[in-house]
Amino acid sequence: MVSIRVENLRLTYRLHDKLSLAPNRPRMPTGGRLEGEGRKRSVTALDGVSFKLQAGDRLGLVGPNGAGKTTLLKVLYGIYAPTSGTVEIDGRVDALFNINLGFRREATGRRNIVLRGLINGWSMEQIEARMEEIIAFSELGDFIDMPFKTYSQGMAARLAFSIATAMEPEILLMDEWIGAGDARFQEKAKARTAQLARQAGIIVLASHSRALLAKTCNKILTLEGGTARPLQSVEEWQAAMDEAAE
Amino acid sequence: MLLATIKSALEDIGSALRMRRVWVALAQETIGDQHRRTALGPLWLLLNYLAFAGTFIFVFQRGDSSMANYPAYVAVGLLVWFYIMEVLTQSVTLFVREESFIKGTTLPLTVYVMRLFMQSVIRAGYALVGCAAILALSGIGVSAMWGWSLLGLVVVLATAPAAILIFAFLGVYFPDSQFIVSNLMRIGMFLTPVFWTYDNAGGVRHIFYYWNPFTYFLEIVRVPIIAGDVPSRSFLLCVGLGLALWAFALLLLGRLRKQVVFAI
Repeated sequence: MVSIRVENLRLTYRLHDKLSLAPNRPRMPTGGRLEGEGRKRSVTALDGVSFKLQAGDRLGLVGPNGAGKTTLLKVLYGIYAPTSGTVEIDGRVDALFNINLGFRREATGRRNIVLRGLINGWSMEQIEARMEEIIAFSELGDFIDMPFKTYSQGMAARLAFSIATAMEPEILLMDEWIGAGDARFQEKAKARTAQLARQAGIIVLASHSRALLAKTCNKILTLEGGTARPLQSVEEWQAAMDEAAE
Repeated sequence: MLLATIKSALEDIGSALRMRRVWVALAQETIGDQHRRTALGPLWLLLNYLAFAGTFIFVFQRGDSSMANYPAYVAVGLLVWFYIMEVLTQSVTLFVREESFIKGTTLPLTVYVMRLFMQSVIRAGYALVGCAAILALSGIGVSAMWGWSLLGLVVVLATAPAAILIFAFLGVYFPDSQFIVSNLMRIGMFLTPVFWTYDNAGGVRHIFYYWNPFTYFLEIVRVPIIAGDVPSRSFLLCVGLGLALWAFALLLLGRLRKQVVFAI
């Protein structure tokens, strides 16, 4: 059974004063709460975050920049290890964070599909079996045998999205992906996202777009300075937003 | 605590070894990228090696008997030295260069280490062709002793991933080290008996010969071919050094593998 259970999640990390011969440049984190002084400075990026998701849930992460949305996605993906609390994930996870991440500029689109597949842990047979479908969905046509560096932003995004969703991940984590691709491709992407969710998967999407969240998600988690408000249904959230606007 | 650290490190290494297709593919890709628009491609690696070896052989070879087998001496010395130099200078910037991958994927850190290792082995393969050619031309006879040289190469290669790990972490927590290491390695070529011979010379040469760990990694590959005997003391030293490096590398990996993402 696909599920995500997060209990009292806390993520803090030390701001390392690197040993350096150069004059010290203070390192600033992108968000979170700064604590401590001098060499003991640390950042609390997430604090006391708890929620549960089950098959079919589509969670929207909202909050201002630096609230911890991307950080939470990266904890769920396994890039950041929680400092304390528990994160239990049941299901095959795939993530779509940064479009250009993990693509080799000099290699062709086709070769990039193989590399991305291998990085995602697919076997050569699985990659071969899905190759044509990925190329078709990405609509890259003959460009698939051109180097990746010749692609426009939109083409790169289409390829990234096609690969990330090709293996039908049970849990898909996405960070503001929707800005990419033209309107028609966005429609296609939305349809595939919805289909993935219907196939009893879980989707977690961080976004600032209210319209997108309202259309895609059924639950909303609001983050603020690393702490989370209780989970809301998308209707409750919209009602609260309307109220605040009045 | 210590056991948990080692276990965590071994987990990382284990999952990286299961993903060997990834690092083999990425290593090939990188070497291809470096030479993509050149006419000779990776053959430049061979030419570079031959140019260095040729220069040393023609400039430094003397007619006297103290330098018997000098071409073979330089050929094998340069092969090992270039390998060590490339591994160390590249590894200091390894994790920093892979920042976007480390911050965006869950690949075990050992995948990056093995990828650099693989890359360095492929590149050394081109130099090895040149080395074999010089050995053949130098007229030195193939003997069973060459098996010991091969074993010496295996020791060098087996130590490399541990050294890469240590230097990669060093580069993350002490950024200036990349310049220190690349400078030291450039100077190191002259401070290590790569192209000069020791001959019990004493003085400064003795210090650089005796207290230089690289000397022994060169010797275990070179001495069996050149002198026809087994440098057992050097072998013991290199294996011991290798094991110490691996122990230190495992501790670092176990302790820092989940921390590095916050530090780069």
